[in-house]
Amino acid sequence: MAEVTLYHWEPNANSGKPMLALMEKGVKFSSHYIDMLNFDQHKPEYLAINPQGTIPAMTHGSRVLVESTAIMEYVNEEFDGPALMPADAQARWRIRWWMKFMDQWLAPSFSMFGWKFFVGPNALAAHGQDKIEEQISRIPLPERQLAWRKAVFGLFSEAEMAESGRRIGVGIKMLEDELGKREWLASDEYSLADVNGFNLAYAMPLSQPHLANDELTPNIMRWLRAIYRRPATRECWKLGRTPMASRVEILEQDYIPPRDESEGIASGVR
Amino acid sequence: MSMILYHGEPNGPSLAVLAALGESGLTVECRHIDLVGGERHRLPGVREALARDMGVEGEGPVLLADGEAMTESVFIAQFLDESGAGTLQPKDAYAHWQMLMWCRRITERCAPAAAFLGCKATAHAALAKLDQAAFDALAQTIASEDLRGRWAAVRAGDFPEAQTADSVTKVSDAVAMVDDQLADGREWLMGDLTIADFETYGWLVGMAALLPNAFAGKARAAAWMERVRARPSVQAALARAATPNPEANWAPGPEINRWG
Repeated sequence: MAEVTLYHWEPNANSGKPMLALMEKGVKFSSHYIDMLNFDQHKPEYLAINPQGTIPAMTHGSRVLVESTAIMEYVNEEFDGPALMPADAQARWRIRWWMKFMDQWLAPSFSMFGWKFFVGPNALAAHGQDKIEEQISRIPLPERQLAWRKAVFGLFSEAEMAESGRRIGVGIKMLEDELGKREWLASDEYSLADVNGFNLAYAMPLSQPHLANDELTPNIMRWLRAIYRRPATRECWKLGRTPMASRVEILEQDYIPPRDESEGIASGVR
Repeated sequence: MSMILYHGEPNGPSLAVLAALGESGLTVECRHIDLVGGERHRLPGVREALARDMGVEGEGPVLLADGEAMTESVFIAQFLDESGAGTLQPKDAYAHWQMLMWCRRITERCAPAAAFLGCKATAHAALAKLDQAAFDALAQTIASEDLRGRWAAVRAGDFPEAQTADSVTKVSDAVAMVDDQLADGREWLMGDLTIADFETYGWLVGMAALLPNAFAGKARAAAWMERVRARPSVQAALARAATPNPEANWAPGPEINRWG
């Protein structure tokens, strides 16, 4: 059988989606860690595999695949192992709808907060401003340089942060309501929507302690803990190399009380 | 399962879904609604409105299935295909990934641009004619705050120059992508006819009159558009038009990517 290699960063957000999908399917793959904050994704050896310089990417034999949600669908269809999409066509529609909603509407807002309060400051602490500036200046496209500066140095406008904050509040409420309807997100069976959603939401009780906790969002907490208990999830998060991945351990607590919004920022774990 | 397809004039995502329905062989009741009149937000019999209210696509068609409002044209098309004839998606997983990636390039890059330019050309005048009270009454029925904001921007004529220029580029890029894809002589975008053909055609057909330069010299793309238009499923969809020029009908669509 053709070999599978996954090029990924931390088990988190887009990188974590195909990592967890492969592990749930029981597909053996070579894990190739790309240190995003060391800008490995812009180095010639990675651009030779994925010229777009985006993470994650997967190779299966001579095939090269990009875009995390689309890679997950490929993994589910191509390999034997437990089905991560249900047989019911309407449930499949609902899973696709939720994945698009999360990928395009909700995740970019979480990402803005994540970069501002967690990834950006951690990157500066680990690599120093001069080295990061130098690496950004080597990115060929000027608009990508701008996007990276904005992300690493947290240069988002107040209006952008306010809109992202609004969407995070709306999105968490939507997730809570949806998880009150069924055991899993969007269907009665564990699916790609859960893999996708967990990667988006696992750290919410830390980063949004005023919005996601056992008092306000019991359905979300039940769902996060159920996914955290799965052996594939445990294996997947072991591939993390930074404090980002260890945030998942909050889900070992049986009860998480509401905390003030500022505690999410103050704890430095956003 | 009881199903009703609520669609606007056969253009954009409404055209794509009507064509996919035609190919599916399913019999589904179709009801024409006035998208720019806000009728999508006042549908009867909606038990589960979330996907209608919060969908990324904006004013696309709604398939009401057992009271659940199903939205996002590519996913409705997949649902119809998987419930019916099953001819519109590649069976091979890699070819399927390629089709999904193509559709994402259209829905994420081309569709927001086409909706922006289409609304500038037509929907703005229709909404600007409404008096404030009538518009406020319409806007009140729109649950999503950011979609409501896009409606207000269209009514106000808020079409910044930079976004206009960027939208022209993105639509032009999509036409060029179609033309390049057909360079090996293939008949349809993925080889066999798929959802990608209808989704792409739906968003591009109305751009030909607005951006003739984007289509100039793109003979393969032009011939492909004629082939798509000639499909009986597309002809049946166009026969549902209430106006002589359905491709000139637009309503607020997906937002332009917030990260640029």
